[in-house]
Amino acid sequence: MKIFLILLALLPLGVAYYQLDNAIDPIKMLYAYTGIGAISLLLLSLIPSSCKRICTINWLRYRKTIGLLAFVYTLLHVSVFVVLDSELDFMSIFEKSLKKPFIYVGLIAFIIVLLMALTSFKKLFAKFSKYHKAVYLALTLALLHSFWAQKVAGVFEYGIVAVGLVLLGERVWAWKKRYM
Amino acid sequence: MKPLSINDITPEGLFEARRHFLKLGAGALVSTTALSQLLADLPKNLSLTYTPDTNPFKLTLNTEEQATNYVNFYEFSTDKTAPVKLSQTMKTSPWNVGFFGELKTEQMLEVDDLIAKFGLEERIYRFRCVEGWSMVVPWIGFPLYKLLDYLEPNTKAKYVKFTTRHEPSMFPDQQKGLFASIKHPYVEGLRMDEARHPLTFIAVGMYGKRLLPQNGAPIRLVVPWKYGFKSIKSLDLIECVEEEPKNTWQVMDPKEYGFYANVNPKVDHPRWTQAKERVLGKLTKQDTLPFNGYEKEVASLYAGMDLRKLF
Repeated sequence: MKIFLILLALLPLGVAYYQLDNAIDPIKMLYAYTGIGAISLLLLSLIPSSCKRICTINWLRYRKTIGLLAFVYTLLHVSVFVVLDSELDFMSIFEKSLKKPFIYVGLIAFIIVLLMALTSFKKLFAKFSKYHKAVYLALTLALLHSFWAQKVAGVFEYGIVAVGLVLLGERVWAWKKRYM
Repeated sequence: MKPLSINDITPEGLFEARRHFLKLGAGALVSTTALSQLLADLPKNLSLTYTPDTNPFKLTLNTEEQATNYVNFYEFSTDKTAPVKLSQTMKTSPWNVGFFGELKTEQMLEVDDLIAKFGLEERIYRFRCVEGWSMVVPWIGFPLYKLLDYLEPNTKAKYVKFTTRHEPSMFPDQQKGLFASIKHPYVEGLRMDEARHPLTFIAVGMYGKRLLPQNGAPIRLVVPWKYGFKSIKSLDLIECVEEEPKNTWQVMDPKEYGFYANVNPKVDHPRWTQAKERVLGKLTKQDTLPFNGYEKEVASLYAGMDLRKLF
């Protein structure tokens, strides 16, 4: 089941590779594939715990896999920025990362997801799992980042914000129910 | 063997014309009614006759496929390829353009009349979008100064204002009211000296043919040293005015878009850098040139201006 999940999640990358030769704006296409993939998986990684609360289906065993897949997409997205878009010009990467809010917001989200991926294995997870709530911050920043990346936000950008609000709202609601 | 270039290919127009000529000859043998029938069937919007550009800078053209499938035409959609399908029912002929404001005689003219009046030439220009991508396109049309010479703007005319047609039945985004992606109708403007510059161009075609709907048919502006959003599509009105027109993107977000919008690698968009660009079809990037490579021709228009403030 997990293998199937991984293959399904990586399928868009195969499609992207296949389309690369004929892409009109290849760098932008790779940004879109990896960015949309990362945000979708990040949103998806919030579903298991919501599902457990609402529909009493336990998908928690898939949560880590989804999270790591989100990390893979995030890493690829950042690689497009570093290797293709900035052509490994580290001065310009540094400058852009400091000066452009749209970029540093994305970069902070990446660092959070990176730290979560590094601390997602056995021993470290026991120690750091409480910090994994930072995914909410990463998601919020990622949504902001995708909003700012467009000249004007379209259906996709509003759509993922709506999904994000529902998932985060459900958590606030569950938290309130428990403590208030 | 020398690889085939675009110039070696028989233009589609000539190819079609030859077929029609042969058919006409055959038709004449049959009857004159058949002949007139064939004449009526001649496709009107196919090819154009024009003076070709010698391409002195040896610019490498983007393919027609790229230029006709990657567009910003928010009247249809904010997506780059969706306008291709959404625009196919657009009725672009007959199409009258209105000429109003501070000029000798206000009037309306059909696109074909404009072509007949000013003739057609090809201009191979670099095209740089504010979003960071670029291409090279062979436009066909006439320089705007020829039109302005004909219209005879008066001494009050300091700017030229351009407006895209407002016809919600044709442009889906114009039906959306408050939910439209931008404010409609789209407006752009040029200072009179910019408008009269020999590089400033009115295009009715590209790649040897009439403009396709998604590229701003049937008539659009092309200002090669400015970001692409200045090159307004599907023109409805050209007005000579006294005050600087408020162009759509400046109204949308004055912190991000100005009136001038000259391509400038040294002045960033607030959200992204403009130092380099992605040439469509390539995985590598290239440096963006001041005034998009037309510095020698146009820099004098902006002598003494602070281009960081007047971006």
